Parts: sequence; structure tokens; C-alpha cells
Amino acid sequence: MRTSFQEELDVLESTLQEEGALVLRALRGALNALEQRDHELADEVIAFDDDVDRRYLEIEDRIPSLLARQTPVATDLRLVLAILHVNLHLERMADYCVTIAKLSKLVPEIDPPVRLIEGFEEMGSRCEEMIRVALDSFRDRNLDGAESLVDLDELVDRANRRAVQHVLELGADPDMREYGLRMVVISRALERIGDHAVDIGEQTAYLLTAEFREFTDASHPTPREA
Amino acid sequence: MEALATVATLLAVGVLAIVVISVSLRGAGALSWDFFTQPQALFGQPGGGIANALIGTALLVLLATAMALPVGVLTAVYLTEFAPKRIRVPIQVVLDVLAGLPTIVIGIFVYALLVIGHTQSGYAVAFALAVIMLPLIARATQEVLLLVPSTLREASLALGVRRWRIVLGVILPSTVGGILTGTVLAIARAAGDTAPLLFTSSIFANSVQTDVTKALPNIPVLIFTYSEQPDPALHEQAWAAALVLMAFVLIASLAAKGLLAQSRRRLGR
Amino acid sequence: MTAVFTMAPVIDVAQARRGAGPVQREAVFDIQGLTVSYGRLTAVSDVGLEIYRNLITAVIGPSGCGKSTFIRCLNRMNDLVPGARVEGQILYHGGDLYASGIDPVEVRRRIGMVFQKANPFPKSIYDNVAWGPRVLGMKKDLDERVERALRDAALWEEVKDRLKKNALSLSGGQQQRLCIARAIAVEPEVLLLDEPASALDPIATSAIEELMHELKRDYTLVIVTHNMQQAARVADLTAFFSLEVDGARRSGVLVEYDATEKIFTNPTDKRTEDYVTGRFG
Repeated sequence: MRTSFQEELDVLESTLQEEGALVLRALRGALNALEQRDHELADEVIAFDDDVDRRYLEIEDRIPSLLARQTPVATDLRLVLAILHVNLHLERMADYCVTIAKLSKLVPEIDPPVRLIEGFEEMGSRCEEMIRVALDSFRDRNLDGAESLVDLDELVDRANRRAVQHVLELGADPDMREYGLRMVVISRALERIGDHAVDIGEQTAYLLTAEFREFTDASHPTPREA
Repeated sequence: MEALATVATLLAVGVLAIVVISVSLRGAGALSWDFFTQPQALFGQPGGGIANALIGTALLVLLATAMALPVGVLTAVYLTEFAPKRIRVPIQVVLDVLAGLPTIVIGIFVYALLVIGHTQSGYAVAFALAVIMLPLIARATQEVLLLVPSTLREASLALGVRRWRIVLGVILPSTVGGILTGTVLAIARAAGDTAPLLFTSSIFANSVQTDVTKALPNIPVLIFTYSEQPDPALHEQAWAAALVLMAFVLIASLAAKGLLAQSRRRLGR
Repeated sequence: MTAVFTMAPVIDVAQARRGAGPVQREAVFDIQGLTVSYGRLTAVSDVGLEIYRNLITAVIGPSGCGKSTFIRCLNRMNDLVPGARVEGQILYHGGDLYASGIDPVEVRRRIGMVFQKANPFPKSIYDNVAWGPRVLGMKKDLDERVERALRDAALWEEVKDRLKKNALSLSGGQQQRLCIARAIAVEPEVLLLDEPASALDPIATSAIEELMHELKRDYTLVIVTHNMQQAARVADLTAFFSLEVDGARRSGVLVEYDATEKIFTNPTDKRTEDYVTGRFG
């Protein structure tokens, strides 16, 4: 029953997964551009954001129409609301990738400290993993997978703090200082990408349990009811 | 097919037309003001009219209606509103049989019951006519009662009102038109029924009579009696009386149709 | 599995809507083990739930699941169906509705009913509303009573200048509101509405739904509807009935009964989920 409605939902979800795959590519591209100081690649990543935006807008447009015409309830309603939220998180993630790409072009031509670069590699990989886990958990309706994102995020947060530490050790040289500043912002961007991945996990949990709760909250160290 | 149906219809209409026309032609001559206002003339005397027979018929029919109407309506109410199926069906059959009973049989029955040992009387006539009218009124009432949608009954029951109140306040008022129709048709039928009258009120009088405990002059008997007389003037009067009866039936039928249409409008159909 | 229903959410929701303090909401009906059969056909089987005062309770479910049968037990209209057998218990304010001394006519005065198709009497608008009170002995201040009923039914302004006109001259939506006025004129406590808006256009339907929100201040309402969205819009509590097929026997059962929000955002039973999302085959 309601096959056309189900098809609409399926299209919405698959568009979302496509968008997620694009975000992953954008992140990999931004990280590579940063590491290899490849300005052309950075420009590609920035231009690539249009593809993500297109999917984002498509979903944004489809949802009000679906809500009005089909009046989804129960699981269907929660799915549509979750897709709406995940869509936002993906778009924000893509924006952060663009930030990283832009910054990678602005970074001064100096030899980056090895430990910093390795740190970013680690953070980047972790974020990639988190995005994958988040998207897969959503697709597979896997609650455990969604909840595991919290622990992964903890690793990203720690890596972020280490990166800040490394930057502080860079010294007072003006080029170094500028370099360090850019790196902090990049580190922050990666950390935010991780947070958004956790948010996607929370949406999965909402879809499955009909309860929205934050896995962790900045102001409260332990999970609580929303 | 259409041609065949048309021919059949024309035949039926034609028969009625023939009856109406021949009666009119033969009786029109005797129609006059005197005809309607003078009582029957003594034998051998010219002139005279059917006034007393008219009044007599009117009285008899009135009496019969007074007997038949309440019984007929209440019977129909019982059958449609209260009777369980296993009682309703046999009673319906009885009513149908009664409707089909030859009126002469009814006449003889009433004769045996009320006239032998007593005299002919208006009551006896009224009773016989009432028996004839009863199934007609009951059936007409039943038909309109069945027309009342069950949703009306449901709605009034859901208000917490007693059954008989519902019948009185909601159902019967919507059926008044139909009941009147049935009554008018029954009257038309009864007014012209000769056979029972021959047994119960076969007098021939020269003046207006209104004593209901005795036999009353009436039109059917007048027609019958005059038709057996040698005087052609009386024959003409008989035809005229028949014309009057016929006109009455015609007017009554049209009135009945009008009443039914009005009652349908009120019910919102 | 019959009723999946807990006390806590019902009272919480009720309190939240009312904004009332910690007052326990009174149960007007307490139904247990209700089974209704016509001859060899079982219409509903082992139904148990409570109906709460001054709330709108909706009964939804696919056709043939016994919704109308259920609601007609509450005012003993099923008595009028030959061969109907009612087992189980229906307590109305603690008293057995089907006890031997109970007069069904009196029951119906206290528990009124509005039907799917508007069925005003072929009388004037005034008489439609006044007839019930008149024959039931409520003759005092009849004019005020009629006006009050018509106002409560949101019809007064539209008909106050033509009270003597035939009720059948009103539009479908107005006729239905007239039937509501007629029902409340005899001062019932409960109003049962059997698909009251299914024969009406969207604007008239909306008017009836608005009216129900007003009416629940003074009355307890139970509404049967095949329009889920209507139940979602209007009802505080929703009972979902479904057909249970047991071999060759089919009967209606109560699957889930809970706050309307819960039924439409996160129902407990999969059958409910399937029905409200329209996946019901």
C-alpha cells in the first residue's frame, strides 16, 4: 500500500546517502589538498561543494511537499524529520570541508611539523570513519552503530586538543604564528565534522526509539534526556 | 415494442374514455339544480332528484370512515412498528384476503350478522363499508409508514423517547398525506359499492332521511332501483346518478394524488 | 493481545491538556470483556477500556472491525437489532448498564447519539430541537432551551431568523449541527458520534470538528471515524480496533488504546503502526 509514498521516501533516503558519499569525497579531497599543498585540488573541492548543495536543496524542497501531501505519521514521520536533520548536518560538514580547502591555500609555504600533519591525518581518518559509520547506521537502522559514534568522537576531540598543543609549541615566528592560527581553525573544523557525525547518530536513535536525546552535551558531561 | 406498449395504453385509456363518455351522454340530460336538491319523486311523479340519496350516501360513508380509519391506521402502525415478523406475515395475508373478498359476500355476512332479527340500518351499512375500507386504508398507511426512513426512528430512539411517543410525534405526522390518500381512495371505493347496500340499506324513500339507526337511501341502490323501472326519465336519472358517482371517484383520485405529492414534499424526497 | 493500555500516559495527557492539578480524571464508562455477536457472527470480542470525562475519545480502525457495534453498546442501541447478544460488562458511573432493572430508554436520554447521515425530523428547526424536551417533560423555558442548544451547536446565528422553516431546507452541514443541537437539548452527559462528518464537505467537516472541541467542555464525547486524520486532529485518546481472523471466525478486537499523540507518533503495536501509516493491506 502507498507504494508511491514509499518510493518517495526511498528516493529521499537514497539522495541523502548520495549526499553523504559526496561529503566523504570532499573531506578526503580537502585533507589531501592540505597535506600535499595542492591548490588545484583545493579549488576542485571548493567547486565540488555545489554538488552537495544541489542534493541538499533537493531534499529541502521535497520534504515540505511530502509532509503536506502525504501527512506521514509514526515511523514515517520520524524518518522524514530525521532526514531533514541529517541533511542539515551533512551540509554543514561539507561547508567545513570547504573551509579546510580554503585554508589549505592560505597556509604559508613552510615545512609543516610532522607531528601536526600526522595528527591531522589521524583526525581526518577518524572523521571519515565516523561519517561512514553514521551513514551506514542510519541506512541500516543500527542503534548500536549510532551509539558507538560517541566513543569515536572522543578520539577526535582528544586529537583536536593535541593539535592545539602542537600549535602552541610552534614558536613566535610570524610565519609560524600564521600557520598555527590556520591549523587551529582547520583542527576545529575537523572536530566539528565529528560532532555533526554524532548528531547524525542521534537522529538514527530518534528514528528508532522515538525519543530524542543528546548522546553527550557540552554543558553536561554525562548523557541526559533531551 | 414501443408500438405495442403504446397500443395497449391507448386501449386502456380508451376503455375508460368509453365508459365516461357513454355515461355522460346518457346522464347529462338529467343534471340540473333540482336534480341535486330534490329528493326522489314518488312513483309516477315527474321530476325529483337524488338529494336524499346523496345525503344518505354521505352519512353512510362518513360513519364507515369513522369506523375504518382508526382501526386501519392502528393496524398498520402495529404491523410496521411493533409486530415481530412471525406475526406480521399472517396478518398481512389476512388483510390481503379481506381486500379481495367480493363485496357481496361481505354484504351477506353483515346481513346475517346485523340485519336478520333486527332491521336494516345505517350502522349495518357503515360496518359493511368499513370492512371493505379497512384493508385499503391499512395497506396505504403501511406503505407510507415504510417510506419513513429508519434513520428518523433511530434518531428519535437515540433521544431517549418512548416508542409510542415516537410513532405519535414523528412518524405519523410525516405520513398524514399518505393516510389521507388511502382514505380518500377507500371512500371512493366504498361510496359506490352496491352489493352490501342491497342487503343492508335497500330502501327507497321520498324524503331526506338522517336516522342512522334505520336504513338510509343511497345512490347505488337508487341507480339499481331506477334501472329496473320502465320510466325512461328514471333511467336518465340513474345515468346521471352514475355520472355523479364517477365524477366523485375522479375528483377523489386526483385529490389523493395531490395529497400524496404534498406529503412526499414534506418528507423531503 | 487485547488492550495495550496503561493508566499513566492517559492521565498525564489528560492533565496536560486540561492544565488541571493532580486531580484524577473520572472514568465515565468502564468496559470489560465486551463481546457482541449477531447470531453466529461475532462483531467484537473481549473489548476492555475506559472512557474519561470531558475528553474526546476516537475509535478508529478498518471497516468491519466493530467500531459502530462497540459505540452502539454504550447507549444500548444494539438492543434494537434482532439477534444481538451482548456479553461482558459495561459500567456507567459504576453501575451496570445492562442490569435487569435498567430502562434502555432512560439510558439513551443520558447518552445521546449523532449519526452518520444527518437525520432531522421533517419538522421546523425549532420543533426539531424542542420536540425531545417537550415529550420528555422538560417543558419549562422551552425557548431558552432551544436557543441554548442551537448556540452550543454553533448554529444559532445562522437560523435564529428562520426557526419556523422546515429543517430539511438547511444544508448538509447545518442539518448535522441541528442534529447535534437536538441531541444536546435533552441534556445528556455523553455524546456518541458515529462518523458524524463522513457525509460532509471539508468546510462543514471543519465546523463540526471545531464544535467538538467546544462541546467537550460540557460533555464526554466518543467518536467513531474512518478518517484517521480527523481522529488525529480532534481526539485526546484514540482506540484502534482491528479485525482478528481465527480460522473461519472473524471478530473485531481492541488492539491499542492510548493518547492520540502516542498512537500517531510512536504506537506500541505493529498493527497500529501499519494502520496509521496506511501500510494496512
